Amino acid sequence: MSRANKLFGDKAFELLKDLERSSQTIPAFDDDGVRQVLEEIKAIFEENVAQASSYNSSGDRSLWPLLNYRHAALQRNKRCLLAYLYERSKRIKTLRWEFGPIIPGDIKQALCEPEVQFFNNYSKSLAAFMCNAGCSQGQGIDLTNNLHPPKSLYIEVRCMEDYGKFELDDGELIHLKKNSQHYLPRAQVESLVRQGILQHIA
Amino acid sequence: MFIQDLKNDFYRHLVGKRILIVVNYDIDAICASKILQALFQYDHMLYTVVPIMGITGLRRAYGEHQGDVKYVLLVNCGGCVDIVELLQPAEDVTFFICDAHRPLDVCNIYSDRQVCILGDATLEENIPAFETIFHDSDGEDDDEDEDQSGDEEEAHNDSGAGDSDGEEEESAHRAPRRRKLTRLERHEQRILRQRARRQWESERDRIMFEYTQFSYYGRSTALMIFELAWKLSKDNMDLLWWAIVGISEQLLLGKIESGAYTLELEHIQSHVSRLTNKTNDQNTMSASKISFENDLHLVLYRHWPVTDSMRYSRYASCQLKLWTLRGEKRLHELLLEMGLPLVHARQTYSAMDLVLRKEFYSMVERLAEKYDIPDIVYGTFTLSYGYRSRYAAADYVYALLAIMESVKKHKTPEDCFMEASDALNRKDKQLLGAGIDNAKLMHAAIFRQVQSSLEARQVHSAGSFFYYVLQEEHAFFSYPYALGLLAKFMLRGHVATSRARAAPDLPLIATCPLDATQGMCLLVGIAPVREDSPKNFFGKAFEQAAQKSKTTLLQDFFEPSVVQLRQSDLTRFLDALTVLLT
Repeated sequence: MSRANKLFGDKAFELLKDLERSSQTIPAFDDDGVRQVLEEIKAIFEENVAQASSYNSSGDRSLWPLLNYRHAALQRNKRCLLAYLYERSKRIKTLRWEFGPIIPGDIKQALCEPEVQFFNNYSKSLAAFMCNAGCSQGQGIDLTNNLHPPKSLYIEVRCMEDYGKFELDDGELIHLKKNSQHYLPRAQVESLVRQGILQHIA
Repeated sequence: MFIQDLKNDFYRHLVGKRILIVVNYDIDAICASKILQALFQYDHMLYTVVPIMGITGLRRAYGEHQGDVKYVLLVNCGGCVDIVELLQPAEDVTFFICDAHRPLDVCNIYSDRQVCILGDATLEENIPAFETIFHDSDGEDDDEDEDQSGDEEEAHNDSGAGDSDGEEEESAHRAPRRRKLTRLERHEQRILRQRARRQWESERDRIMFEYTQFSYYGRSTALMIFELAWKLSKDNMDLLWWAIVGISEQLLLGKIESGAYTLELEHIQSHVSRLTNKTNDQNTMSASKISFENDLHLVLYRHWPVTDSMRYSRYASCQLKLWTLRGEKRLHELLLEMGLPLVHARQTYSAMDLVLRKEFYSMVERLAEKYDIPDIVYGTFTLSYGYRSRYAAADYVYALLAIMESVKKHKTPEDCFMEASDALNRKDKQLLGAGIDNAKLMHAAIFRQVQSSLEARQVHSAGSFFYYVLQEEHAFFSYPYALGLLAKFMLRGHVATSRARAAPDLPLIATCPLDATQGMCLLVGIAPVREDSPKNFFGKAFEQAAQKSKTTLLQDFFEPSVVQLRQSDLTRFLDALTVLLT
């Protein structure tokens, strides 16, 4: 049995807690932590292998629960690691929908190399899908344009902050002041809605 | 100028153009703006809605949006002030005014193309004829000028400069005619003309004074916009309900008489029956229905225990004097005769027995005459949709009022305006519920304030009017409408309890400090109890008293009977007002 005074799986748990704390952004990839968990898994596995081989030779079933226990700890570590990686990849996918095909520099630093490749591959498959989806019109639809499927050409929005002048495509100038309500073409104000300056009134 | 055919002259004009809608802070205006927004959305017209509170707000809003819009629609604001002079707009900007405030400013009425007032000119009273107010004074000036230049010509005959050629020709043209009269006669003529002019001017001043003396309210804006929607065949139950809320607000806040309200009821009823028969799902229980029924003037009685509702409604409370002990006993007697057990009366209305609830209205109606509350019954509309929601128009009015005046530190007046606007959507039921709760608190606070003030005799008489001064700012009463409700309740309560014979004829002035840091306080004038018509003379009276006492009065709001002034000037102002009103 391991005489070290630590719990199994606490490092993996810490990884997940860190990720939970920064729930919207992606924190830096904790290379160290992941490596420690992997080493812990390896250590447990070695002990188990040693014990299993001794059982094979001696036939003594008294330490069977200990084997099971180590196996369970090993699997828990594995699950935690997988959860960590999966959650990060989920956030990377939402990155694509929010920011477009290029990752901003500061977020890119937080990702490790395989994750960057994952992002690029995801972008590629999304682009191929969008291209095929709109193939009847001859060009692809940009699905990332609208947050929800658009129901109307114009939407009613309320201004949450002072923004100043905003020019529409046909030259009309709208003065966006806090708490004024406007009715504007959807396509042009979608970006402002996404930034939170305008609030869409259903 | 007046526009009567709203569909062609107003709406068709605006299709495809961008509009600025400036909305005043009152419920009628909010309802009207919601109906307008729905109409504009059908036609995909770009619009911008800006809420404003007073004249400074209007100026600021126009200044910000000045260069962008060519069409401005003013809802319930700006009718009584000269828009062109106030805002100094560019030549091609057109203003459409839809205002329930009267009297309308004469410059707006007689403006040629820039200012259009939506409404029927024949329904307006007492508009002075054009000739009596605006005199084409150019002709007169020309005559006088030529008279003088004729004189000068005679005196300086050698001024043959090029620029006075035209003048020379003209005066030479006229000179033969003029030279027939002697100088003395010309002088006489001028004096006569001047005297006639002065007479005309004094007559004009008298007419203008009579015209602007009383301030009152005309037809509800929301109802007018709803009729436009009807003519465009774009009306539906929602828009009709908003129009009903608009006109109910006018009745409940005392802006129109009940006679005028009853006349409008007939028109609205025809709309209701037409729209109910149009929808084909009226057999489902949960469809939205508007029904007309006779209802009671009890505040929010469906959402409150009956005893509370009776106590906090101004009409019932003042007739039965429910803040005194004897009044409470009379209330119990009334409940006893109605057959309503006290246990049930003290629970929320919806928790009462079904049988009792069904009979409540008929019981009160029967006993109304005996207990001296005959006017407690009036006709109104109820909206029911879904299985649980059933609201009377009055509920909506009070809820919206409470929301609109629930200004807090982190909640600006514009936020409250937007929230009130949202609460009108049927989907946002919780906003309406919150508003009703707030309204309950407000009414309870009003009642408590009235009770304590009447017992402490804080309503003082200043000879020709009563006045009531609140010492410190209050969460509810630092806003115009809440203060107005409090003042009305206070006045009627005082009249009910006082023994002075002249009490029903005296008006009341109530003030409440607005803001301790700036030292401003809000002043509201309420017409006497005996006066039936809601014509209010306080606007002019305040103005003149301020002039006499040389205090700076901020008559910023579009309601002329609500003003702001400095706390320190209060006593001087009241003295001047006393002198004025005796």
